[in-house]
Amino acid sequence: MTNDTINLDQLTGWLTRFRDLVTEQVSYLTELDSAIGDADHGSNMTRGMGAVVEKIQASPAGTVDELFKGAGMTLVTSVGGASGPLYGTFFLRIGTTAGPVASLDAPGLAAALRAGLDGVVARGKAEAGDKTMYDVLAPALDAFDAALLASSDITSAAAAAYSAAQTGRDATEALLARKGRASYLGERSIGHIDPGAASTSLLFQALTEILGEE
Amino acid sequence: MIGIVVVSHSPRLAQAAVDLAVEMVGADGPAIAIAAGAGDGVIGTDAFKVAEAIAEVSSPEGVLVMMDLGSAVMSAEMALEFSDDPDVPVRLSSGPFVEGLMAAVVRAAGGATLDEVDREARGALRAKQSHLGDEDPAGPPADSGPAAEHAIEVTLLNPDGLHARPVSMLVTALSVFEATVTVANLRTGKPPVTASSPTALLTVDARKGDTISVAAAGRQAVEALEAVSDLVGKGFGELGADSARAHEPVPSLSQPPARSSSGAPSSGPLGVSPGLAVGPIVRMPEKPDEPGPAAALPVSEREAAAEQIVAAAASVARALRDKASRVSGAARGILEATALMAADPGLIDAAVSRVTLQGDTPERAVWAAVGEVADVFTQQGGLLAERIPDLHDVRDRVVSELLGRPAPGLPDRVEPYVLVARDLAPADTALIDPTVCRAIVTVEGGPTSHTAILARALGLPAVVAARDAMELPEGSVVIVDGSTGEIVVDPSGDQVARAEEQHSRVITFDGTGRTRDGHRVQLLANVASPDSVAAAIEANAEGVGLFRTEFCFLDHAEAPGLDEQVAAYRQVFAGFPGKKVTIRTLDAGADKPLAFVTAADEVNPALGIRGYRTAWQRPELLDTQLQAIAAAAAAENAVVGVMAPMIATVDESVDFAARCAAHGLRNVGVMIETPAAAITAGPILERVDFASLGTNDLAQYTMAADRLMGELAVLNDPWQPAVLRMIREACEAGLAAGKPVGVCGEAAADPMLAAILVGLGATSLSMSPRALGGVAEFLRGVTLTRCRDAAIAAVAAGSAGAARSAAALLLEPTPA
Repeated sequence: MTNDTINLDQLTGWLTRFRDLVTEQVSYLTELDSAIGDADHGSNMTRGMGAVVEKIQASPAGTVDELFKGAGMTLVTSVGGASGPLYGTFFLRIGTTAGPVASLDAPGLAAALRAGLDGVVARGKAEAGDKTMYDVLAPALDAFDAALLASSDITSAAAAAYSAAQTGRDATEALLARKGRASYLGERSIGHIDPGAASTSLLFQALTEILGEE
Repeated sequence: MIGIVVVSHSPRLAQAAVDLAVEMVGADGPAIAIAAGAGDGVIGTDAFKVAEAIAEVSSPEGVLVMMDLGSAVMSAEMALEFSDDPDVPVRLSSGPFVEGLMAAVVRAAGGATLDEVDREARGALRAKQSHLGDEDPAGPPADSGPAAEHAIEVTLLNPDGLHARPVSMLVTALSVFEATVTVANLRTGKPPVTASSPTALLTVDARKGDTISVAAAGRQAVEALEAVSDLVGKGFGELGADSARAHEPVPSLSQPPARSSSGAPSSGPLGVSPGLAVGPIVRMPEKPDEPGPAAALPVSEREAAAEQIVAAAASVARALRDKASRVSGAARGILEATALMAADPGLIDAAVSRVTLQGDTPERAVWAAVGEVADVFTQQGGLLAERIPDLHDVRDRVVSELLGRPAPGLPDRVEPYVLVARDLAPADTALIDPTVCRAIVTVEGGPTSHTAILARALGLPAVVAARDAMELPEGSVVIVDGSTGEIVVDPSGDQVARAEEQHSRVITFDGTGRTRDGHRVQLLANVASPDSVAAAIEANAEGVGLFRTEFCFLDHAEAPGLDEQVAAYRQVFAGFPGKKVTIRTLDAGADKPLAFVTAADEVNPALGIRGYRTAWQRPELLDTQLQAIAAAAAAENAVVGVMAPMIATVDESVDFAARCAAHGLRNVGVMIETPAAAITAGPILERVDFASLGTNDLAQYTMAADRLMGELAVLNDPWQPAVLRMIREACEAGLAAGKPVGVCGEAAADPMLAAILVGLGATSLSMSPRALGGVAEFLRGVTLTRCRDAAIAAVAAGSAGAARSAAALLLEPTPA
């Protein structure tokens, strides 16, 4: 199943699937967060994405920007923790970059995702190796862009991104946290996967799964 | 003042941090909004809440956002993207949450700019770092401003030295001066720090007994140092409390907190109206509850039970009539009407029937019978519905009588007492007789409660929030200190003697009003009839600033004739040969209706035909009065001035001046009681010789608040900055025109406010004779410059409370 474009239904499906995954993995995410944070990442993401999907179902978006701006705003006000502004900014920037369209082609999606990453960097001031969601998002998007150089198939690009995301997620285990509450733990943050990195990896898992359907 | 937003993951943390910070400034701090938690009890932050909080406290001076950590910072940043008011600069502060917030609140309360407040917040860890010895080597010493021109060395007397509260007082006091002030501790030898920074001042680490060197430069350097010297000399107001505690020979109800006058709930008794009083406790009896159901009375007992109702009602009616005969004015009318209701045969018959026919207990019968009448009143609505509280008052009194309990409401006493109540309703407080009630203590209430305001108006010491006051035994003697909030139970003979002495101390006025530096302010008496002339003379008044003429007209079906008026006015003029007597022409209408000049059916009498406006309809009344005044003035030797009430336009002033001229009256003025007259005082004073401010009406009309309504007492306060601005407007017009502008309202009788009025430019103050001594003494203790500075601070204050606090801080007399 190849895709040159990704339409509104698929994008809506992406967010819904992401909701499903964080809900399924709520204990795992919380467990990761209890090791180096405040043990609320799982419940925060589940509540936030639950609110996002509820809103979409109540009033389905007519364009891509409407979908992602709505999702971003909802996360900002329903998550509570740092993931709220971070994921919120990520989706908001995707929305503003995509514009009022019904679908995105591969370069369009890549540009939107890249804008989302820039938003996360601006908001969180994180750099590579700080043991944050950046350590998943950045390599995943690099892989996504690289895959698109070879083919315009979004499905395979998403698969490449997911693969890089998993690698990035696992690599955070060895890192020393330099951002967020985990940074207070210093050396003790080493040896644990960053929960934000884990949920970001689920984001790419969701994208891969939704594109692979049909 | 800038606004402050507090962003935290936890609402409890935010509230606690705000409470801690606000303790430093009380009710006069900046607007603070909290954005904490992510809703539904979730620990976290919400960018929208932050944006809302910013909007809530937004001010053109800007908003400073203090955050705890992590998502709080990011949510605040996102909020900035949502808040897009270009006129409101919003700054996210990197200062530490608790210390930074406290520093920011104190600086903001002192009126500092957004930049200054932010700088202070960011540097707020200095005190802690300095204390723990890990000082930032690049720590900010005093701003290297202009070289100090003046310096003093003072030794700290208060027990805790320069701790948070004194620092806050110091910064606030200095904020009004044009001066750069630095402080250094001679014991530590560290470099001086700027006195505009509370956190820098805390790093001075000055303790009791340390000598600090205070240097000042700038136009008001001397005044600034004087203020520092005052504060330090007074131990920042902490000496009294300390010594009182140290020498406490008897149990006191509780330790009063340092007088923070914080708007926040206080843990202990709070003094809200200064003064010292002693007397036996009389508890205000509480109202009876609805009597519970009981078995029907046996028929044999019903007649006796019915008799009880008749007797109780008669007894209540008699007590109310007695009480009515001892008061006057509106209170008398209310009590007489209530007495009639208690004796109402219809009501008594209804209750008696319930007893005889159904076997109700007497108290239940009365309760139910009144309930039925109240229902009818409710259905009728209008005026009848307004009588329902009176009806319930009658019910409560009769039921209490039946149950053998004291009558609810104000105790009926002729001997002095200290009133202790759970809380006081406006209706209760209106009836308090300050010659018998010596002090008020309530369980509920705060510094701006009705009780506090009324007590200050009556000059009665008052303590509110005295949680355990109702447990004090009836009749036990207490000393109430309305300044510290302290209540001493069963005081020693010495303590009682001291309190009595202070209570009865009469300050005599020597007949020459002036400030400490010799600035003359005429102190005059208000006179309402020839009967009150003696009191004014006895009090050494320099003359009469307001001679009300209504007494001549009251109780008349038609206007009094010329001869009657001449005779009456002469009696007053004769009392002040060679002295000033300013007589006011008839001021009828609104709360002073006169049958022959005012219509009874005005919808809004306070805004109707009253004051000078009655002359539009009955010009001949004014002419006769002016003729009488001219004749009386010619026959006596007083320096007579004549003024018209309630002027609103220049035309009215021109008209009045012309009428006076026609009768040969030369010294002509107007009352400034409307905002219209205050803001056109310039052109008005071009047409007349003087003006006199009637602050009661000026407050009522400026604040659009009926001065007869107790609920609006907070607004009807001459300390309201809006009212002070009106007064300033009129006084400045007087100074510009070189014509006297005096004050003859209640405001002039409040010593501290009198000083503010002098600072604003009032040339004379007229008051009830008994207030002259206190006002004269207070003015003697302050310089004109101090009055002016205090006036500037009071006018600039954000609220009546802030104006009062600023004035208190700047005007407290320097120890000799």
